[in-house]
Amino acid sequence: MPIRSKTFCESYHDDIKLLDTIWSKCWMGLFILGLLILPYVTDTYIVYMVNLSSIAIVAAVGLNILTGFTGQISLGHSAFLAIGAYTAALLGEGLGMPFWITLPAGGVVSATVGILLGIPCLRLKGLYLAMATMSFGIMVEYVLITWKGLTGGERGMYMPEVNMLGHALDTDENMYYFLLCITALMIIAAKNIIRTRVGRAFIAVRDRDIAAEVMGVNLTGYKVMAFALSSFYAGVAGGMYAYVMGHIHPEHFTLLSSVEYLAMIIIGGLGSILGSIFGAVFIVAVPEGIKLLAQGVESLIPAMQGRYDEEWNIAVFGLLIMLFLIFEPGGLNAIWQRIKVGFKNWPFTY
Amino acid sequence: MYFLELVISGIAVGSLYALIAMGFVLIYKATGVLNFAQGEAIMVAAFICYYLVTRFGVPFWLAVPLTLIASALLGAVTERLVIRPLLGEPVFSVVMVTIGLSIFLRSMAGIIFGHHNYVFPSPFPVKPLQMAGIVLSHNHLWSMIISFSLMLIFFFFFKFARLGLGMRATANDQDTATLMGINIKSVYALTWGISFVVAGLAGVGLANVMVLNVGLAFVAISAFPAVILGGLESIPGAIIGGLTIGILENLAGGYLDQIVGGGVKDVTPFAVLFLVLMIKPYGLFGTKEVERV
Amino acid sequence: MRNKGRSARMTALVCMAFLFTTGLALASGRGVTDDSVKLGFVLVKTGPVAALGIPQGNAMIDYMNYINEKGGINGRKIKVLWEDDGFQAPKSVAAVKKLIARDKVLTVMTTGGTNQTIANMKNIKRYKMVNIPNAMALEFFDPLHPYIFALGALYEWQYQVIVDYINDDLKMKDKRIGVVYTKKEYGKKGLDAVKKRAAKYNIPVVAELVLPTGAVDASSQVLALQHAGANIVITCDVLPPIISFLKTAEKYNYWPQVFGFNWATDDLLVKACGPAAKNYIGSGFVGSWTDDTPGIKLVREIAKKYNRKPKLTSLYIGGIGVSMLFAEGIKRAGKDLTPDTLKNALETFRDFDTGGIFPLVTYTPESHAPAKKVKLFKADVEKKCLVPLTGWRSPKDL
Repeated sequence: MPIRSKTFCESYHDDIKLLDTIWSKCWMGLFILGLLILPYVTDTYIVYMVNLSSIAIVAAVGLNILTGFTGQISLGHSAFLAIGAYTAALLGEGLGMPFWITLPAGGVVSATVGILLGIPCLRLKGLYLAMATMSFGIMVEYVLITWKGLTGGERGMYMPEVNMLGHALDTDENMYYFLLCITALMIIAAKNIIRTRVGRAFIAVRDRDIAAEVMGVNLTGYKVMAFALSSFYAGVAGGMYAYVMGHIHPEHFTLLSSVEYLAMIIIGGLGSILGSIFGAVFIVAVPEGIKLLAQGVESLIPAMQGRYDEEWNIAVFGLLIMLFLIFEPGGLNAIWQRIKVGFKNWPFTY
Repeated sequence: MYFLELVISGIAVGSLYALIAMGFVLIYKATGVLNFAQGEAIMVAAFICYYLVTRFGVPFWLAVPLTLIASALLGAVTERLVIRPLLGEPVFSVVMVTIGLSIFLRSMAGIIFGHHNYVFPSPFPVKPLQMAGIVLSHNHLWSMIISFSLMLIFFFFFKFARLGLGMRATANDQDTATLMGINIKSVYALTWGISFVVAGLAGVGLANVMVLNVGLAFVAISAFPAVILGGLESIPGAIIGGLTIGILENLAGGYLDQIVGGGVKDVTPFAVLFLVLMIKPYGLFGTKEVERV
Repeated sequence: MRNKGRSARMTALVCMAFLFTTGLALASGRGVTDDSVKLGFVLVKTGPVAALGIPQGNAMIDYMNYINEKGGINGRKIKVLWEDDGFQAPKSVAAVKKLIARDKVLTVMTTGGTNQTIANMKNIKRYKMVNIPNAMALEFFDPLHPYIFALGALYEWQYQVIVDYINDDLKMKDKRIGVVYTKKEYGKKGLDAVKKRAAKYNIPVVAELVLPTGAVDASSQVLALQHAGANIVITCDVLPPIISFLKTAEKYNYWPQVFGFNWATDDLLVKACGPAAKNYIGSGFVGSWTDDTPGIKLVREIAKKYNRKPKLTSLYIGGIGVSMLFAEGIKRAGKDLTPDTLKNALETFRDFDTGGIFPLVTYTPESHAPAKKVKLFKADVEKKCLVPLTGWRSPKDL
């Protein structure tokens, strides 16, 4: 009979379990319960913000698969969101298709484009890859504005409401449960991909691609797969965005919003699914926090009255990227792990 | 004739692109980092110069050196506060930190300077030069002259000057450079300082040729293709890249705009960049990295 | 075992989610209490067009504060919230959502420009947002949209008046029009209107060039216009890029007759461009800063009181005008203030006099369209301002 210690596993399956202890299961259960009753205890606006977060989470998880796990920098992530969103809108508004076709279709079309981009980008590394994806994003934006016949150009496209078993999900609360399910599915899927052979291959490619190739990891295959997966996630997130906002426009899918997704995974934690979630929620919540702060400052100092605008949000956003990279490269995830370990070991230091 | 005019105006803008691209190349050559905040350095310098001239009544010939000193300081401070803590971190982190910096500087500039369009009080005569039917403004001419002479200076600097060689050595291999007695920290600070000075010159030039507002920073994004096209570590590459992009952009604007329905001008550099990268992954003049495990 | 447990959890999650498909409706009586009314608006504060949004937004708030100091309307004080959209449609949609869901405002007074209004069409209907958008495109007023009211002469009409002027009054031989427009919706509407009208007069449109809203340089546009031999340039873009255009044209020694619409017709144009603006003629519908009408006097008084020195005076005047219309509507709606009563109250306007800020305003239940009145202004480089060139004009029937 072996002595059970804190990290005790009898098989590899135990080692890579999603929820390893009874306590983590309990906490997860509580958390899910909390999410389910959320609309009954808060107001519409919070629910709407959570909806926005869940879109950001799906997109950030996708980018983390490509950039965090596989090490391929992408400055064109929002282009894939755009492709997903426009596909969903074309099918949903144009052909009247239901969400269970439009959302996956957005993902699949986006993934196809991702593969088409991934193959020629195989030879590119680091900065050059960043530049290529950035150009790709800018070109997609241009096409969206110019190809009026397909995308409506500057008028954008409207999106119908989600139709669930004959009921239109027309409030934020209704949308909330719908988005929660999709987000949960996408997160669990990502978790599972990462803990299998595919995920380990991604990490090997990131850490040293040549070494990985020598050890039998098919570089071409896995890099393209990472592109495809990441753009699939982005495509689904784009479709979700279209449903939530009811209108899509090329101006949403800019270089700045690609940077925003990168910021999410940096602030959350590169190479961590949990980190992507933290980062996405954080970036969505920060402008609200700043707004509250600004209102406080305005009421204290009359000279600051009316000085607050969108520019402050963007400034803080830039500052946060810098601060996290300099002081906490592991992101929010690293902070969270430290807190967790601290609690687990209490009262001992380790 | 029209073609020639487009080309010449393209060279005028392209020489400024080349100047901006040189700012990128300087930093890349010495530190292996692509500085996304170069555009913001340009814009801030232009605003400093503008304020010196209009608000404080400093004559233009004095305002320019003052601006350059301020730019150098800004560069050195940036290096100390933002870049040095990340020495030895992966490229991705350093690039992201410069992206963060660019966002921060741009929005701070928006908060401080506002979003108006300012017209720079140009020291040169307004009436343009006319040679054989081709019109060229004094601003364009001067920015071309300044760009080209700077390029020459830097070319020789890296080829022969002790400091320039030190920078190249640092970029090549930090550890070995340290062993050879090169003070890496001062090389870094100096590089950023010099690069921001180049940006400052570009800024003053751009503000003279164009209209001054916070959006001036985005001109640097158009210069990205120039840098990549020329290869990140080649000064002659930057010049050729800058001129090519400037000319292509103007030709696209002059000919394609009418056919395709407008706005092609702004996307052309990126389409070119994308194609070049697909064919030559390290740009036209870049050196291929050889990796060993 | 392992897989079974997970799928069971999943199923539970999905099932529970579908149980909760009942929504909470938005509370009615939005934004109104016995002693207060909460209004909101979305207007650009940052980015390349910020120069236009800031004076108008300030004016809209200043006027309501001025009204509050006089005791409010029907015993209610008015609070105005301003959300920034950076002149981007998606941000405008998000900002409207914030104002409605978080701040629960009675209505969103404007959702920004043409693109933003198009993007918000569904929201306007759904939340019954009575608004006067900064978008004067024909499509918002014909057919009638119940909650959208007009600010001033439609873009289509403005460009018709401009082309009429070119045909009838402009003394020039061999007229050739070049159009410089932005890719945004208002730019395209302007371009179409110019092309249609010019075709009726048989004036050739020799070039159509895009000038992005954030442009700092217009070299290739100027060269192309010169190449095409355009001696008249009609711009369909807001003020900041027009400044870039005029300054670039000056550098290339290119001096066509330049026209622009109301968002580029402001004294600032002449101040910023100096002699480069000497050939500029713009259309507009708000009074000038130096007018001696009661409305403009009030505007100057309010600006002085709140210590504003607006750079774009026409936008500040227009902002005061918008708030004035809303204040009158709220007053006429009486105690029972909801989006619908506000709309009905606005529809009772018959030749409402803003004292020279706007032409007389009439809204009826059948039409919310503006008065067909456009004035042309011309740059006066000496005085650094725009001076009226014509009286009120309306497009000729052709």
